[in-house]
Amino acid sequence: MSQPSETLVTLDGVDLGHGDRVVLPQVCLRLARGERVALLGPSGAGKSTLLAALRAQLGGVVAWCPQHHGLVPGLAVYHNIYMGRLAEHSALANLWNLVRPLRGPWGEVAELCELLGLAELMRRPVGQLSGGQRQRTAIARALYQAREVFLGDEPVASVDPHQARRLLGLIDERHTTSVIALHQRELALTHFDRVWGVRDGRIVIDAPSDTLTLADLDALYPDAEPHAASDAAAEPALPSPETLPCSRGRA
Amino acid sequence: MTATTLPRRPGWLAGRATGPRLARHTLTLIALAVLVLPLADLSVVTRDPWATLGRMIQGLAWPDVTAIESPFHALGLTVSVALWGTLAGVVLGFPLALLFARSRLVRAGCAFVRAIHELFWALLFLQVFGLSALTALAALAIPYAGIFAKVFAEILEQTPRAPSDALPPGVGRLSRFLYAELPLAWAQLAAYTRYRFECGLRASVLLGFVGLPTLGFQLETAFREARYPEAGALLWCFYLLIATLPWWSHRRLVPLLLVGGAFLLGPWPAVDGGLLWRFVSQDLWPAPLLAGDWAGLADWFASVPDLGPAIGHTLLLALLGTVGALLVALALWPLASRHFGHPASRLAGRGLLVFLRSTPELLLAFVFLLLLGPSMLPAWLALALHNGALIAFLAARHADALEPGMPGLPASGRLAYELLPRVYPSLLALLYYRAEVILRETAILGMLGVSTLGYYIDENFQYLMFDTAAFLLLVTAGLNIAVDALSRRLRPREVPLEDPCLR
Amino acid sequence: MRWIAASAAALALFTQGAAADTFRFTAIPDEDQSRLVERFSKVADYLEEKLDVDVEYVPVKSYGAAVTAFRNDQVQLAWFGGLSGVQARRLVPGSQAIAQGAEDAAFKTYFIAHESTGLNAGDELPDAVEDMSFTFGSRTSTSGRLMPDYYLRQRFDEAPDEVFSRVGFSGDHTRTISLVEAGTYQLGAVNYAVWDAAVEDGRVDTDKVKVIWSTPTYPDYQWTIRGDADERFGDGFSDKVREALLEMDEPELLDSFPRSAFIPADNAMYAPIEDVAEALGLLR
Repeated sequence: MSQPSETLVTLDGVDLGHGDRVVLPQVCLRLARGERVALLGPSGAGKSTLLAALRAQLGGVVAWCPQHHGLVPGLAVYHNIYMGRLAEHSALANLWNLVRPLRGPWGEVAELCELLGLAELMRRPVGQLSGGQRQRTAIARALYQAREVFLGDEPVASVDPHQARRLLGLIDERHTTSVIALHQRELALTHFDRVWGVRDGRIVIDAPSDTLTLADLDALYPDAEPHAASDAAAEPALPSPETLPCSRGRA
Repeated sequence: MTATTLPRRPGWLAGRATGPRLARHTLTLIALAVLVLPLADLSVVTRDPWATLGRMIQGLAWPDVTAIESPFHALGLTVSVALWGTLAGVVLGFPLALLFARSRLVRAGCAFVRAIHELFWALLFLQVFGLSALTALAALAIPYAGIFAKVFAEILEQTPRAPSDALPPGVGRLSRFLYAELPLAWAQLAAYTRYRFECGLRASVLLGFVGLPTLGFQLETAFREARYPEAGALLWCFYLLIATLPWWSHRRLVPLLLVGGAFLLGPWPAVDGGLLWRFVSQDLWPAPLLAGDWAGLADWFASVPDLGPAIGHTLLLALLGTVGALLVALALWPLASRHFGHPASRLAGRGLLVFLRSTPELLLAFVFLLLLGPSMLPAWLALALHNGALIAFLAARHADALEPGMPGLPASGRLAYELLPRVYPSLLALLYYRAEVILRETAILGMLGVSTLGYYIDENFQYLMFDTAAFLLLVTAGLNIAVDALSRRLRPREVPLEDPCLR
Repeated sequence: MRWIAASAAALALFTQGAAADTFRFTAIPDEDQSRLVERFSKVADYLEEKLDVDVEYVPVKSYGAAVTAFRNDQVQLAWFGGLSGVQARRLVPGSQAIAQGAEDAAFKTYFIAHESTGLNAGDELPDAVEDMSFTFGSRTSTSGRLMPDYYLRQRFDEAPDEVFSRVGFSGDHTRTISLVEAGTYQLGAVNYAVWDAAVEDGRVDTDKVKVIWSTPTYPDYQWTIRGDADERFGDGFSDKVREALLEMDEPELLDSFPRSAFIPADNAMYAPIEDVAEALGLLR
């Protein structure tokens, strides 16, 4: 297995987390230029933390597509996509663009929307879109940034498998390198060079995708194991006294 | 499994969940009010109020619309003062909201202007601008700027961070604000502005009490001189105005109302710089202070009313009013909510809330004065009912936006398990905001002889002793700032205020 | 065309405030303040005709606001109560009381009581009033506050707070009558003219509330004009205004105040009011 030529990021025994709380202790990872990495793991395992750390290290070369999209519901699809290049225009131009879309950006965004099937929706507020349409808007915003590296936190979670493939294809076309968190294990094996697997705050898989099987990936998800579920149920349930009256507070 | 392994059954209202915590909080508040109750003068003296009350009820039942002098002008001016006053408040308050979190000076300044009742601002501006629209607009715009600054700052602070975080690095502050903050807060800002406009309408009517020719001008005179059919007609006009607010204040109609209203506001007074300067540099300051006469200043202080009892009465009435408003709100909100009763009962409930929250406190207080005799009791009831009804109205609106998770529960179950747990936290939060307003409103109930700070301020304005009035206003503002800080500390913290109008 | 007319009207409305040569006055009658503008615009028309200048009536709600308007030169002539006239003349040096109502030379205040007190009319206030509840009218009213306060102090040698169990300010004479009639306050002090009118119209139940004492007479309402009026509207203008007021004989105009006629007055007549107000701390 030959290592790709140039290293973009190296994490060497770093503790990752928010503030004082360490989510992923002692992370050792390396991301090379030209690599396409799938990031897998159960919800809450630390995928978003890892992506945030990569984003911070890579800085200006990253096109970022966050979890839950981070879109502004009150603004039109066009304006949300335009936000990808907000930093490249003066404040005055940005202000004017809210009053009437600038000619250049409008054309560029229209092209992207054509590709993503959003052409009819450019003027519609994002708040009125379906889940899949919002997802595509968020991807369009990341694509519009036209950067080298794509970092996506579950960017294809709420679209059907065929559309997911097409969107991943578009992302690959426009970025040399990408790290994408996702839950579709099959896609991870077919569309990516490498898989990072996170479980319980540790990187348990870091391997080329052609060396892995679906069963290897299943090991990441505790609920997927048929025995584990029944084992958990058999354990005597002994909730602490305080938790009982509080159950409503968690809703 | 043995009994010892079962979790222990919790005691009365025990536990750290929100429900029991808020219940304990509420009971403490009520206990505090009961504790200070003996300090309040609550004697009931009633003899035969029914002759006067009968005439009042008759007036309300058979209003005489023809007795009103130019009702359309009064209505139009009421609306137009509220509209322009609110707009000016937004224009002044919005930039302050952006500085609010960063500047202690701005926060203190806003707390100060909020602390003084609209009526007192009007009395101050009256000295300079005379009886003109300028006085009315300034009286509304200045305290509202302080309120808008605070509430807008809180709304902006609570906007979701995700869109802002998603922006590429290097985006300027203004662009970030325009794209990733303002659009997210817009709906809430607009909703709050609408709500404040309704408050502005009430305040606009109240400004009539000092002589600006809004609805309140004729209402106060008619009521004072016992011309109840005319007073009834004016009150009905106002109830209708408030009840139909959602229809006539449609977004598209607002520019039309603004332009139309501008014509009603004239004629504008010629602002006399000399008057303004004389008022600011001389009238507001104690003469001995300006003359550098320190012994005279001591005499001046001796002539100021006793602050201790005045502050005591003010705080006592405010605490009782706040707790009373809580109880009233809890009792009334289900009456107007779509989750309870049938269409007729809801219509009646909403009508009752419009009636209670739109009738000026002074009028409510007078009815109770007749019924119960002179003491703190009428003032307490008037404050509790008026503010309670307002909170109930907002709570009912909040509840109407909720969808019960389990349809088909009986009404009591729906109230106790579905709605109250979700409505109560914001209701309580609103109550703490409202405490500040109640403190301000104690001022205008001096008629009942409850010697609050406001009673003395009003007195000194009437005697044209502006220096003493200004000094008492400063004391009031200081008190208000202290109470505001205290209520912010006591307020249950984890409560998210989804509805911006719950402020 | 209609468009132009509307603009012109609007413009007139806006510039109205700036016109300098309009003579403005204000008046607050001691009872029936309905339709103020309608009623006093007729007085304005009358003065306009007599004085040969534009005259405008400015409606004002309270005596405090009237004094302020007078001080700020927003009105040049005002129909003041006794105390507010004194306040105004102190604030605007050179201003003159020029006329008063025929009834105002000998004004008086009635003390009224609810029937449950068992009090009857007499030559002086009975000792039994001590520790009863009592209401004044408006705080700055001469007949509703100042003079009754003064005579109470004379009679009992104590402040009203000490004499009575509770002292209120109803805000208005009509309201004082209502509150005492309802028994809310046991006693009240009321302008005699308002009381007489209410009894005459049957607006008060005299079985429930009656007069128990009348104060000695004192001067009350008067017309006051600013000292600089002659300078601005021509020599002798103040005298012309006085003439016009004294000659007013149409009942329709006089009823607005309500007075039967106006008679001459001067500042010196109000010295007693000034002394009392100073003694009570209402003036400094």
